[in-house]
Amino acid sequence: MSLSVKNLQKSFGSLHVLQDVSFEMEDSSIVAILGPSGCGKTTILNILSGIMRADSGDLAGFEGKRFSYCFQEPRLLGWLSAEDNLRFALSSLLRFRKESSSLEWRIERFLRESGLFEFKGYRPNQLSGGMQKRLALARAFAFPSDILLLDEAFSAVDLRQKIELMRAFLRLWADEKPTVIIVSHDIHDALFLADQVVVLSQRPARVEGSLHIDLPHEKRTFASPELSRFEVELYRLLGFDHLDNPVPRC
Amino acid sequence: MAAFLAVWQLAAALVKSNLILPRPWEAGLALWHLLGGAGFWGAVAGTMLRVLEAFAFSLCFGLGSGALSGFYPEVKAFMSPFITGVRATPVLALILLAMFWFPSTQVPVFSAVLMAFPVIYTSAETGGHAAEQRLVQMAELFHVPKTTIFWRLRVPSALPYLFSGAKNALGLSWKVVVAGEVLAQPRMALGTGMQDARLSLETPTVFAWAITTILLCGLTEYFFGLLATKLSAKFRQMEEAPDRRGEQ
Repeated sequence: MSLSVKNLQKSFGSLHVLQDVSFEMEDSSIVAILGPSGCGKTTILNILSGIMRADSGDLAGFEGKRFSYCFQEPRLLGWLSAEDNLRFALSSLLRFRKESSSLEWRIERFLRESGLFEFKGYRPNQLSGGMQKRLALARAFAFPSDILLLDEAFSAVDLRQKIELMRAFLRLWADEKPTVIIVSHDIHDALFLADQVVVLSQRPARVEGSLHIDLPHEKRTFASPELSRFEVELYRLLGFDHLDNPVPRC
Repeated sequence: MAAFLAVWQLAAALVKSNLILPRPWEAGLALWHLLGGAGFWGAVAGTMLRVLEAFAFSLCFGLGSGALSGFYPEVKAFMSPFITGVRATPVLALILLAMFWFPSTQVPVFSAVLMAFPVIYTSAETGGHAAEQRLVQMAELFHVPKTTIFWRLRVPSALPYLFSGAKNALGLSWKVVVAGEVLAQPRMALGTGMQDARLSLETPTVFAWAITTILLCGLTEYFFGLLATKLSAKFRQMEEAPDRRGEQ
């Protein structure tokens, strides 16, 4: 294990958000943090990326790593085209001679991979919600990073767009294989994408359990029998005793 | 416009004295005579230059100090009493004081700068905070250089506030410059013409000078609006209504 999070605690005033969050992950793996809405998943990503400080706890293996972040909302500059939004986020690369030469190439490549190359001149308000999400995902991938954080990157889109987004994600990830931490409240995001799933409790969050999914991505399809055993285990960790009678534990 | 002229005509007909309220055509005729007069275009040029001078100074001081106040609370604390004091000072008091300190040609400019500067200062200070914090956070996470954040994120976010403030300041500059000219009586000035006409009891001519001032103010505001639209389009390119062309 090369990255670890130990005893993370965070409160906002009297609101206790993270109680005791600890988990470990492999380099270049995809880890999904699963938990109910409002349990503090985004807070974990903000702490890992340095946007926010934890009240206590230790992070090991994150030092000196370069982060990229696909935020819960696209956070695009409305007055710039899709292409210029990427150029803006990658402008720090111009400082480095080696990376600056690949800047335009990266922009074109990630726009193509996310299926947005034809729309490169469009501004965000001219793109659909799903396309904006794809653009934010392309931006996160285009920025060279060691650790990529994705916050509900696949939510609030319809099923077709979600599958497209997930395919785009796997295509993009396969190339440079950064360590990815996905935060989601949807069990399917974790089942289709993650090598490891960390399940959080209701707020204040603590880790209920961790599950390793050792199944290649190409074998993970909807209603695939290979995935069902992992799905059952995840439901159990989330507090649902049986799929036919999904009553949460008290 | 037609309704306004009709009301004016009706009111003038009721008053029945062109010394108190001339009819619109009388004011129009006086304006026609002014247009052919020797000093008219010189007065227009003189006042226009004073307004532009005052506006340019207000813009420079207001943008500079407003932006600094937006970023540094110490500058804001230093500027705050001054801005409050200037805002509360009556325009006429300021003009009368300026008449002790400056030559008559500069009194209107100084007064207008002092009155218009706080308007631009406030809009620049508000504009400095206008950038969405979430976008700034995103930019910092991607290590976007500070200069790029300034020009591509902070400036475009602040532009609507700046343009709105500058437009108000431009209108205010016209009002204060002409008021300053009425009192200070510099050569080649709309306000001086207005005051001379008043002293000669030529009310239609006073109206003609006032109409000239209104038209020139409207004209400069119109050209400023065009410039603002072009600049805004350059920075933000957001004039078009949302049309989700990419919707599938």
